[in-house]
Amino acid sequence: MSAVLTLENVSKTIKGKKIINDLSLSVNEGEIFGLLGPNGAGKTTTIRMIVGLMGITKGDIIVSGKSVNKDFEGAVQHIGAIVENPEMYKHLTGYQNLRQYARMHKGITKQKINEVIKLVQLSERIDEKVRTYSLGMRQRLGLAQCLLHDPKLLILDEPTNGLDPAGIREIRDHLRMLTKEKQMSVIVSSHLLSEMEMMCDRIAIIQQGSLTDVQQVRGFVNDDLLDYFIETGSLNDAMDWLQTDWNAVITAQGFTIKAKKEDIPTLLKRLIDSDIAVYSANQIVKTLEDRFLEVTAQKGEIE
Amino acid sequence: MGKLIINEWIKIFRKISTSAMIGMLLLSVIGIGALFKYQEETNPMQDNPNWEQDIEAQITSDQENLTSIGGNNTQLKMHYERQIALNQYRLQHDIAPESEQHIWSFVGDAQPLISLAGLFTIIVAAGIVASEFSSGTIKLLLIRPINRMKILLSKYLTVLLFGVSMLAIIYLFSSIVGLILFGLPSSDVSHLAYSNGEVVERNVAINLVGEYFLSSIDLLMIATMAFMISSVFRNSSFAVGISLFLLFMGGTATMLLASRFEWAKYILFANTDLSVYFDGVPPIDGMTLSFSIFMLLVYFFIFHLFAFGVFAKRDVAA
Ligand SMILES: Nc1ncnc2c1ncn2[C@@H]1O[C@H](COP(=O)(O)OP(=O)(O)O)[C@@H](O)[C@H]1O
Ligand SMILES: [Mg+2]
Repeated sequence: MSAVLTLENVSKTIKGKKIINDLSLSVNEGEIFGLLGPNGAGKTTTIRMIVGLMGITKGDIIVSGKSVNKDFEGAVQHIGAIVENPEMYKHLTGYQNLRQYARMHKGITKQKINEVIKLVQLSERIDEKVRTYSLGMRQRLGLAQCLLHDPKLLILDEPTNGLDPAGIREIRDHLRMLTKEKQMSVIVSSHLLSEMEMMCDRIAIIQQGSLTDVQQVRGFVNDDLLDYFIETGSLNDAMDWLQTDWNAVITAQGFTIKAKKEDIPTLLKRLIDSDIAVYSANQIVKTLEDRFLEVTAQKGEIE
Repeated sequence: MGKLIINEWIKIFRKISTSAMIGMLLLSVIGIGALFKYQEETNPMQDNPNWEQDIEAQITSDQENLTSIGGNNTQLKMHYERQIALNQYRLQHDIAPESEQHIWSFVGDAQPLISLAGLFTIIVAAGIVASEFSSGTIKLLLIRPINRMKILLSKYLTVLLFGVSMLAIIYLFSSIVGLILFGLPSSDVSHLAYSNGEVVERNVAINLVGEYFLSSIDLLMIATMAFMISSVFRNSSFAVGISLFLLFMGGTATMLLASRFEWAKYILFANTDLSVYFDGVPPIDGMTLSFSIFMLLVYFFIFHLFAFGVFAKRDVAA
């Protein structure tokens, strides 16, 4: 799989203060990539550097093979972005706004504009002034603006900020559809874990301008060793070998262990052979939230 | 570049304030027209049957002045020489000074409105960059595959285009109003111009276009300065405030300084009124037309150096 975006040891210093510190990562074709971090972590600053709003103090950013430092126009033509809020010209209609951006790229037809308007479901209100739009509608107009020139990489900075659950769901569905149907790559940033978990294929955690961790969302939640809870009757003598061989934690209704999936049948056979009543065996699924806290706590200890 | 200018043009003309500006210009032209018409009705100008004697008297007095200054003040000397040449030309060719109002005299009379057009152009220049920052729309503007310099240049060209359009509105609308209220001149009129020591007759309408542009130079410079402040400080009220303050106070302050210090001739406002070299006295002795044009070019260049330098380099955190 080829990378659409690569950050190579990117640093940003503003007025002597290091905002981004030696950040490297890459985003693949067709994936939804999350930038996760608390407020002030440097997500927006990173995005500003990718789209050329801010200079890169050190390092380089490559978009579809073009360096932002050396060939800004070449790099940015593959990007559609909303940085922070989707600010549009309020005294123009939605359609007039889109025409503005259409004129700044090559070969965007009226047909294409209408297609995009339909896609983000703004057809009914597109001829009204943006002043009258709700936040959700502005987000959708912002999305339309990003999509006009069929970018390879879509960048949305906190796209769900201020939206209600229905709005968030809408954005999520749009993104899924875009990556599936158009092979677009998407970067979304957020300080909310739960949203990222539902939206992204991979997540990078940024803290104080440094990359803490990049994880596959499935892999992010689950290690090789999974947690299981086995519900049993009285354990009697089995308690000894469970604790010594399996590191089990005994509870009133049974025990929990960390084990590989393929070891579970062996464990259950031994329990049954030892005449222990086994009522159920369940994997304990860790939420991303738990895992996030683990990762950030570990990082905290190191420092 | 054309498409960028179209974009800027649309953004300006969809604003209510722009319609208000144009409305005010049109109303002012009508207002001045009504005032002149009223004056003409209440006390109609009469042809002066003795104009030839009057002009001869004027020539004699000018010649006396000319000899009394001698060669000390070249500027004044030129002024008198020009007056005398023009008046002698009138006598020779039997061209009486105009006494009637007509379409072209009214287009000339509407010239003070150029200051109003300038004021509006300054307001547009001050807002065209800064307002993108205050609304946050600059972010969506600068992430296009277009060089920042080009974007800023399109904005500056739009400001110029706006200024020229305002001038055109005054010129065209005052010729319409002038035609309706005062009609065409009863006999052929042409403008008497004095150039290279000779008197030449020029087409009035074309000569007026020239006058319009010449009287817009100071406004062009201040609009360029407003544009620079707008681009450097990214704050439109600041840019409007400073520019208007300088527009109203700059000239006066410069004249005060000019009476005491020689270096005042390097101040922008000492050089913006080029008409002093054609018909008047420069603020400081020894200033010449080419000096002023050179100074204007230097300021023009410096303003753009700042505007483009800062705009191209600085981080956008709006
Ligand atoms: N223009 C700027 N000048 C100084 N500091 C800035 C500027 N922009 C951002 N910062 C600082 O950089 C850090 C990261 O900000 P930001 O990228 O907006 O974080 P996030 O988007 O993750 O919330 C913050 O501490 C912020 O105060
Ligand atoms: Mg942010």
